Amino acid sequence: MRLLSSPFEPGALAPPWAPARVYAQVGGVFAMIVAAGLAWEWAGVGPSALGHALASGAVHAGLLALGWLLATDAADGWRGPVFRLGTTLVLAALAARLHPLGALVFLLVPGLLVLEARRQPRIRAIGLGGAHPAHALAGLVIGTFLGAHLLVTASRTLGYRLHVGGLPAYLSALAYDVGANALSAEWLFRGAVFSLLWRRGTFWPAALLTTALSLVRYLLDPFLPHAAEARAGAVFYLGLVGLIACALRAWSGSLLPGYLAALAFFAAYRMLAP
Amino acid sequence: MIALSVALLGAVALAMGLADQGPASVLRHLYLLPTLWAALTRGATGGGLVGALAGLLHAPVALPAVERDGLTSQTLDGLLSLGLPIVAGLLVGRLVDGSRARAARLAAVLAIQRRLEGPDALDDKLGAVARELYAALRARRLALLVGVNVRTAILASVPVGTLVDPDSAAAFALATGQRVSTTDLAADPRVRADEPIGSTPVRALALPLVSGAGVVGVMAVEWRGELSRAAHAAAEELAVHIGLAVENARLILRQHHFADELAEKVSAATARLRELDQAKTEFLSVVSHELRTPLTALQGFSELLLRSALTPERAQRCLVYLHTEACTLGRIVGELLDLSRIEAGRPLELKPELVDLAALIERNIEIFAAEHHEHHFRWTASGPDVMLRADPDALDRMLKNLLSNAVKYSPRGGQVCVSACPAEDQPGMIELAVEDDGVGIPADQLRRIFDKYVRVPHPETAAARGLGLGLSLVKALAEAHGGRVEVDSLPGKGSRFRLLLPEADPDF
Repeated sequence: MRLLSSPFEPGALAPPWAPARVYAQVGGVFAMIVAAGLAWEWAGVGPSALGHALASGAVHAGLLALGWLLATDAADGWRGPVFRLGTTLVLAALAARLHPLGALVFLLVPGLLVLEARRQPRIRAIGLGGAHPAHALAGLVIGTFLGAHLLVTASRTLGYRLHVGGLPAYLSALAYDVGANALSAEWLFRGAVFSLLWRRGTFWPAALLTTALSLVRYLLDPFLPHAAEARAGAVFYLGLVGLIACALRAWSGSLLPGYLAALAFFAAYRMLAP
Repeated sequence: MIALSVALLGAVALAMGLADQGPASVLRHLYLLPTLWAALTRGATGGGLVGALAGLLHAPVALPAVERDGLTSQTLDGLLSLGLPIVAGLLVGRLVDGSRARAARLAAVLAIQRRLEGPDALDDKLGAVARELYAALRARRLALLVGVNVRTAILASVPVGTLVDPDSAAAFALATGQRVSTTDLAADPRVRADEPIGSTPVRALALPLVSGAGVVGVMAVEWRGELSRAAHAAAEELAVHIGLAVENARLILRQHHFADELAEKVSAATARLRELDQAKTEFLSVVSHELRTPLTALQGFSELLLRSALTPERAQRCLVYLHTEACTLGRIVGELLDLSRIEAGRPLELKPELVDLAALIERNIEIFAAEHHEHHFRWTASGPDVMLRADPDALDRMLKNLLSNAVKYSPRGGQVCVSACPAEDQPGMIELAVEDDGVGIPADQLRRIFDKYVRVPHPETAAARGLGLGLSLVKALAEAHGGRVEVDSLPGKGSRFRLLLPEADPDF
């Protein structure tokens, strides 16, 4: 019991945070890549769709990088993993745009992330360890329920319909969720941010703030539909998914159940078409 | 219970679907039943979860109506029905949680008080209290450290087997009376540990246990994961109760200890009184006997002198006997008078003057050697003549008593050694020692031999005469002179009495 067995220094201070310069450097690099991609798309030079993919990949790569820096407090050796993960994500996005099967490259990202994280023990503190099968199953069930609910509500309320525009496109979208969309959200928000806040306080403030930040990220995403009902739906469902993922993270000690819940939810979401 | 509530929700949703009466259907109120049931059985978590599920099930009915008809009273009612189960589930569940927590706290306090009231040792009771607290607070680890010093404090922990570092957070709380609180023990820079940070924070509290006497201990608790405000408050409240209960337990134990000590002392005093009573009875019997013996002799010889015409030689011998017995009677009466003076608390009347100790000893040895032919007397003096300022009669009686005891309690042919010299270990004191090789005194009797009426029984010396007053008089007379008497004895080897008296002032 550490309260009795570990030496205690009442005046000891926490080590200083990593300098903001590091975050600014990383954020600046990825922002420039996003800007370059958007400019390429806007200019319409060559295959302008690749510009869109470049920007999309850079956004998720930036989120992963930010998560890495927060989780490790920018400990020495962050450049290598951040570069490798970012490059893989951007290449996956470009590959997915060039060919539907190219999206399979997204599936490499979770594995690469786990491999990189194994070399950095501090990453385990954000919940990268395995989960109990019951917890993982609970995440899948909850995500599936919310996804099914979305399908029923959207079809009855807004007149949306179930539409899987070809299996390759559907699978490509799922691969994107696996390797970029859901992964970056769980890694950064439920992993780095929620762990950081929860460790310093209680569950509800940490969960609400984390969910609010993740909603802001979705609402600012230029690649999502801008219709009012779509934004309201995103706030409602992604808010629920976010809160539930925080609860699953706190309950299980792992990011996996929340990640599975998000994947199940997005699997249903991808079936929806206006 | 949750499964039953979820099943009921499904049944209500199915019934609403089949009835197809829209969001205003009266059946929507039925969502509250499983929600409240879950809240009552599972608290805020159950109530909130089932309430949220009820809202989600009602959404596909309520939201299309809003889309179709806009915001009317009916659609608003439908929207309210969406949120009502969640709110009701959370509120009722929170009330249930609060009342359960209060009940649990009260039960824990009662259980702890009962544990501490028991007759067991404090260590055992603290172990039971730690287990009660561990269960009541749903802690991951819990320890109670009771005492004012961390090195000597009693430790009870769950699980057992915790090491205590004198520089730990608990020791800090014990020493300063300040609480230590941390939201994550592993990440707290104040706690030095080499263990990696886990994925779930470990909340920890070290709360001083305070009573009227100050800090009496520390309660250290660790939780894994979320620590609710209610649990935090419960820990603080229980720490207050434990501080007072521990102090009460210590007072009760002290009271028991005091009562036991008192009973022991009363019992010892009673036994001593009985001993004294018996000794006094024996004393009276011995006194009667001791007085009668010389009186009988006096009567017999005086009658012989009165009735018979004795030759001058025989008459002279009778007069010598009469004188000897009269002296014995006088000595006994003198001792009795001294005894009554001591018992009345009056000081012994002393007439101090310079006494030549060597001469006194030589005279007494001559007398005793003449009376006891079987014993060998030896007298050694070291250094120049030792002079004392003392009452010569009192000194004579002290020496006679010591010599008389030496003769009485040593076998025929035994040796009695007398010595006088300045006491080496007591500057300014003269030591007069009488040593014999007699039966000796058992160690457990040594402290009693200077008491009045006490005679140490021994089969070899049962026939020895005496009142049991000699040594008590020696002690009283020595103390009246500003000195004291000491004894060393080994059963079967003999005894050595050491009379220590103040040296005479050379300028006197």
